[in-house]
Amino acid sequence: MTPHFTQRGDVRTFFHEGEPQLPRVLGCEVPHCEELRIVLPLAANVGESLQRILQGRRFSSAVGRILCGGASHLSYHRMVETGSVARPFDYGAPVVLDGYITFISGALTVGRDPQGKPLLHCHAGFIDREGNQHGGHLVLDKLVVGSEPLIVRLCLFDQVAYQQKPDDETHFNLLHPVLQEAS
Amino acid sequence: MSAVIEDQESSIQSGKLGRLVVARLKPNEDLVQSAEALCAAHGIHTAVVRGGLGSLIDGNLLYLGRSGMKSVHVAGPGVEILSISGEVRAGETQLQAVVADADGKLYAGRMERGRNLSFITIELTLQEWLPD
Repeated sequence: MTPHFTQRGDVRTFFHEGEPQLPRVLGCEVPHCEELRIVLPLAANVGESLQRILQGRRFSSAVGRILCGGASHLSYHRMVETGSVARPFDYGAPVVLDGYITFISGALTVGRDPQGKPLLHCHAGFIDREGNQHGGHLVLDKLVVGSEPLIVRLCLFDQVAYQQKPDDETHFNLLHPVLQEAS
Repeated sequence: MSAVIEDQESSIQSGKLGRLVVARLKPNEDLVQSAEALCAAHGIHTAVVRGGLGSLIDGNLLYLGRSGMKSVHVAGPGVEILSISGEVRAGETQLQAVVADADGKLYAGRMERGRNLSFITIELTLQEWLPD
C-alpha cells in the first residue's frame, strides 16, 4: 500500500507500506530483574564501556535511563522525510556536538542483534554550551563522557529479549520482545 | 492575599516491585491505552514505567495552567520519545514524557490519553507494584 496519513478523530494516524499485522501490542512477562547503577568516568566511550560492563553477565535484555551527567562529544539523529515509498521517514544525517553538553533526560534499551550480541538503542535530550536544546536518537558508540561522570541505571532481565528483527510493516529492523533463555 | 490550606495526611504505601512486562507497540497504537491494556492482559493492578522510548506520529502533552489543563501539540511525524515516567492504573494512568520534534527541540508534559500514537515503534517496559 502507498504510505499515507488518515484521521482518527482529531489525531493523525499513519499507514506504512507494509500490511499491518496483529497483534498490535506485543508483551512478554518476566518474573524479576537485576538492577545496575553505572557511573562512567570522564573520557569514557559510552557504547564501548556499556558493552564491556555487560560482557559476561547472564541476561537477555535490559532497559534503563541516563540519570545525569555530561558529554564532551556526541552524535545524534533526527527523523527526516526521505521521498522513498518503502521507508518515507528515516533518520537523517548525524548532528554532531562538541564541548560542554548537559544531559536532561534519556532512555535506553539493550536488545540483541541477530548474532546475539547486545544492541544499544538510546534516545536522549541534552543542552549544548550555548543553551540550545537537542534531542533524538543518540549513537552511544560516538558518545564521550565529559565535564562530569555519566550515571546510567539498567534493569537487566532474562527469559525475554528485545530481539532485533525485520519488521514487514515499517521496513525497519526493530526490537521485538521474544521469549528466550539468557545468554 | 492568604490562602487557607487544610492539613491533609500523606498516604504511604510500602511494597515491592514484581513482574516486568516487556513490550513493543506497533504503529498507530496509543501509549497510555496500550500501557493499560498490557497491565490488564497480565493481571497487573498498578505498574511503574521502567523503560520507554520510540517515536510518535504527533505528540500531545498536558500541563496544569491557571485555567485548567492546557494542551501542547508537538507536530510530527517522528516525534522522538526521550523518556517516560509515571504510574499505570486502569483509567487513572499518569505518564509524563520528554519528547523532541524533528528539529531536536524538547518538550515535556503529561501524555494525553488517546492522542500519542506510535509512529514506527515504541519499546515499553512496565513493572508491577505489589503493596504489602
